[in-house]
Amino acid sequence: MAQAKLESKILTANRLRDGETVYYTAAGAWSPYVTEARVASTPDDIDGLSKSGAAAYAANIVVDVNVIAVVPGRDAKPAHIREVIRASGPTVRADLNKPVVRPQR
Amino acid sequence: MAVVDRNGPLKDAWTRIGEDAPAPKGASVIVSLARLKNEHNSLFSAAGAVGVEVASDVDLADLEPFLARLGVIVVRMATMRDGRVFSTGRLLRERYGYAADLRAVGDFIPDQVLFLLRCGFTSFEVGEKFPVESLKQSVAAYSVWYQKATDRAKSVVELRGENSSRGAPKGSSS
Amino acid sequence: MYIYDTFDHTVTRERVAEFSQQVKRRLAGELSEDQFRPLRLMNGLYLQLHAYMLRVAIPYGTLSSVQVHKLADIARKYDRDYGHFTTRQNIQYNWIKLDQVPDLLAELASVEMHANQTSGNCIRNVTADQFAGVAGDEVEDPRIVSEIIRQWSTFHPEFSFLPRKFKIAVTGAPKDRAAIQFHDIGIQIVRNSAGEVGYAVYVGGGMGRTPVVAPLIRAFLPKAEILSYLEAILRVYNRYGRRDNIYKARIKILVRDLGPAEFTRQVEAEWPEIRPSGVNLPAAEEARIEAFFAPPAYEKIAEPVASFVEAKAKDRAFARWVSTNVHPHKIPGYGAVTISLKPIGGIPGDASSAQMHAIADLADTFSLSEVRVTHVQNLVLPNVKQSELFAVWQRLGEIGFADANIGLVTDIIACPGLDYCALANARSIPVAQQLSKRFADLDRQHNIGPLQIKISGCINACGHHHAGHIGILGVDKAGQEFYQITLGGAGDETASIGQLIGPGFAGEDIVGAVDKVVATYIAIRSSTSETFIDAYRRVGAAPFKESLYGRR
Ligand code: SF4
Repeated sequence: MAQAKLESKILTANRLRDGETVYYTAAGAWSPYVTEARVASTPDDIDGLSKSGAAAYAANIVVDVNVIAVVPGRDAKPAHIREVIRASGPTVRADLNKPVVRPQR
Repeated sequence: MAVVDRNGPLKDAWTRIGEDAPAPKGASVIVSLARLKNEHNSLFSAAGAVGVEVASDVDLADLEPFLARLGVIVVRMATMRDGRVFSTGRLLRERYGYAADLRAVGDFIPDQVLFLLRCGFTSFEVGEKFPVESLKQSVAAYSVWYQKATDRAKSVVELRGENSSRGAPKGSSS
Repeated sequence: MYIYDTFDHTVTRERVAEFSQQVKRRLAGELSEDQFRPLRLMNGLYLQLHAYMLRVAIPYGTLSSVQVHKLADIARKYDRDYGHFTTRQNIQYNWIKLDQVPDLLAELASVEMHANQTSGNCIRNVTADQFAGVAGDEVEDPRIVSEIIRQWSTFHPEFSFLPRKFKIAVTGAPKDRAAIQFHDIGIQIVRNSAGEVGYAVYVGGGMGRTPVVAPLIRAFLPKAEILSYLEAILRVYNRYGRRDNIYKARIKILVRDLGPAEFTRQVEAEWPEIRPSGVNLPAAEEARIEAFFAPPAYEKIAEPVASFVEAKAKDRAFARWVSTNVHPHKIPGYGAVTISLKPIGGIPGDASSAQMHAIADLADTFSLSEVRVTHVQNLVLPNVKQSELFAVWQRLGEIGFADANIGLVTDIIACPGLDYCALANARSIPVAQQLSKRFADLDRQHNIGPLQIKISGCINACGHHHAGHIGILGVDKAGQEFYQITLGGAGDETASIGQLIGPGFAGEDIVGAVDKVVATYIAIRSSTSETFIDAYRRVGAAPFKESLYGRR
């Protein structure tokens, strides 16, 4: 059971135009904030993410497209340290860190 | 497939023929290196003109006996990263004195044509979707080069030499 | 310094225009990412974890103050107000937007700079001794031949799509400060028995997955022949280097597979064919380039310089800084200052735009407007009067760059690692920061003496860990950051490759492990003048293994 949950995935890439790390949302857009990523937990869902990624790559919207693992839970939290750093910025420059949640205005 | 040179599309009379297909009398045919080696006598007497397609790492000694009689050499780039083609081109031109058409085929992009031209290539076999306008723009990107190469464009070094022998100021312009 | 003429300006301007077009075609979708990638790489543009990274070339590590000001302006305008100086004497910006790159390149071109060939499978930016032109031990200024190579290698028609990247380094002195034997080609300027100046040529060195110390393939090459000889080496490599496996595509593998003798034979067979082609520079052109590197107008100063001697006597901290950070100058009364970009706990090689501006100002006031970059990720003010060293030291203190640690245990090389780099397995910078804090005490550092720690975040070895007296390599162990230790590497004229000492350490244990290695050295050294590397070479790995892993 825990096994199945571990397979939750999100879709990430970098925007072609400016290189910003972005995540594919439930609304089918790309957000800079990892917590807005759409979490897919079934094989079909994950397959859907891959297809959306391939389409956005082919349309020259994003590059370096990857489906990555997230920790089970409501908010999308990347499982691997590499992706944690991608989501929130270099660990050695706290001043440059990117919020994982869209800042409220 | 289309054939272009630095100015755009060309009319091309060459046809590739398979390993067993007879060479049509009087036609301009491109054959494999193996066939050229085995059948050069009959090929050169039957066909109107003979060309060969080779890989970018072809052993030039294999080609040498035929160079004077070949009408085209087509060199295939395995991928756009296959830079052996540049050395092969220069060697054919500069060391072996090959003078007829030298054609590149493969996955090169317009931006590489400039380098191919400098290394002695004269024509390019490209897919239907190849952006010929970009090619024309790309080959015009540079007006001067630091190096001398097969195309005999004067190098920056030579231009500097001419400048200073005319008594033009040397050094900075900035 | 070399100054562009109209031809150099034309090439640079046309390059900016060409790359701008390529960016436009990419954004319009005419070029796919697969097609664009090699093009952007040839312009030093990578996609990293957070954004694009642009690597700007600093040919042979030489900068004018005007250029340093421009690099600072670019950091502020196009990046997040800082830059990172690298082991290849370049500067990297970490937060670049693709659609702004054309404007950025145009600004660089305005100060005779570019990002040409700072990546990609082509001949990369040439590196050289940071003390070129000022070191007393040099046969000839290595910047002359470096500039000649820069021009020759720029958009080379035949060698722009090599099997793999290609790096050339030059030293003008027997003391190798450019790690030439870890390069694809290492050039040492030498004098033969007849007193003529020429080049010793090493080929096939490198770091990465397969570290190799380059063998010498020619002990003396006449100066005028350098370009034809390079062309012969490159042609053999371009034709016969492996292209089927990127891990085997560097020239070091070709040299190893053929054997240095057979490789040399092939180069020497190719060379006479190339010599008549006109690639060698005419003497007039060589002289034209050489003239730019003529020594600046130094003052005649008698040593000892009283105020300098006095300042050292009065201020121990200053004296200590002089002992590590000031290199002897060939002109009496001058010194070459290494500015430590390794403040305790800082990020090795990083400088903010404010710091860069301050350094450019210092260069204008005190160093004949010149700055150098070292492959150890520090900066150099090459021409400072001894009478002004004290003032320079004080000003450096104001910007946080006055640490007296050059060549010591906290003068750590660290690649960007997993904080920035898309290829990384583990972070490098935090390890460097923790080590730096652990060894912060200056008395202790000076007691430990010369010791180079070099950290890479993956096997690509941008942090030169193979050449570190203590090398640290980040690896991924089941999703965790782990660090392996190598000992006994050296990047100088006694080049050697560090040997893996045993199993790796977790992130929280690596600093303690290095501390143990250092303590072991202190315990076994024959005297305080026996350096870490000498002691290691004398006793080997055994005592270090024992202190790290216990008796087996
Ligand atoms: S060594 Fe690896 S992690 Fe470090 S900068 Fe190079 S590629 Fe990136």
